[in-house]
Amino acid sequence: MKIRRTIIVLHRDIGYFFAALTVVYAISGIAVNHVDDWNPNYIVTHQSRELGSLEGVVPEKLGEEILARMGIDERPKAAVPMSEKEFRIFLKDRTLSVSLPGGHLVDEQIRRRPFFFHLNVLHLNHAKGLWTWYADIYALGLLILALTGIFIIPGKKGLGGRGRILLILGFVVPAVFLLLTLL
Amino acid sequence: MKRAILFLSLGLFILTASAQAADVTKYGQGVSLDKATPVAELLAHPGEYMGKTVRVDGLITAGCKKRGCWIQISDDKGNGVRVKVEDGVIVFPPTSIGHNASAEGVFSGIPRAAVEKKHKEQEGEKHEACDAKPSGEMIYFIQGTGALIES
Repeated sequence: MKIRRTIIVLHRDIGYFFAALTVVYAISGIAVNHVDDWNPNYIVTHQSRELGSLEGVVPEKLGEEILARMGIDERPKAAVPMSEKEFRIFLKDRTLSVSLPGGHLVDEQIRRRPFFFHLNVLHLNHAKGLWTWYADIYALGLLILALTGIFIIPGKKGLGGRGRILLILGFVVPAVFLLLTLL
Repeated sequence: MKRAILFLSLGLFILTASAQAADVTKYGQGVSLDKATPVAELLAHPGEYMGKTVRVDGLITAGCKKRGCWIQISDDKGNGVRVKVEDGVIVFPPTSIGHNASAEGVFSGIPRAAVEKKHKEQEGEKHEACDAKPSGEMIYFIQGTGALIES
């Protein structure tokens, strides 16, 4: 009985402590699972615009001229010719690609997807460093939660009956999936 | 209890501080070679560099905005080579586009036909546009092991 009491206490306290992070990982998990269908981290937008002909503008002045026609006074990170037919200007979170000499401009802007970006930073361990260790501790916590969860309820609703069936099913589902995938 | 909260706050502060970016951010193993090979040289004589570890320096002119799994490094003439990294192992943020970088990895090439066939097979799925400008029958890229990106 003393062991079961310890198990319950462990399960309860670890469960409380990691509840928030579990929600973070779960939401981010669903978000990144569907990365083929959407960008879970960034919102990327493209807008086209005609700047007018840039014929005759000397290459050294192209960047300046394009920014002036766009009415942008931000200092670019870089402005480079990508080829004879394309000039690119890199601004903060924004890239202007201009066709030469016609002046067709594609304005690509990128911003963090609110809420999801930050959850994904934690879930995908982009922070690295100390967060790696904390994530390891969290994984250990989940392991303890799973193992203690099995033994919380005694009797027919526990491992003696319903619990045992659910536990076996929990093994069978991924095992069958693996078999079907690998065969 | 107060002491526990104090320690927890201190821990969170250290975690946050460790996540702050420096002037140059290292990705993966960074770069180990002292000398960079010009991108134009790689593309002009790919056979000489195939399978060899090379370092390229230049401007990041494009990148994968979904998975952060590649960047394109270009020289000032617009010659670009894609640095492809293993998904999830190294993640280049799209905000690195427009910054100077050094990247290192094994110079590789795959037949264009194989890539086109794969894309055809996956028709219907969404693919990111390829900004690289490969020419000829082969598509050249660097299997990246690391990079240093200026912020």
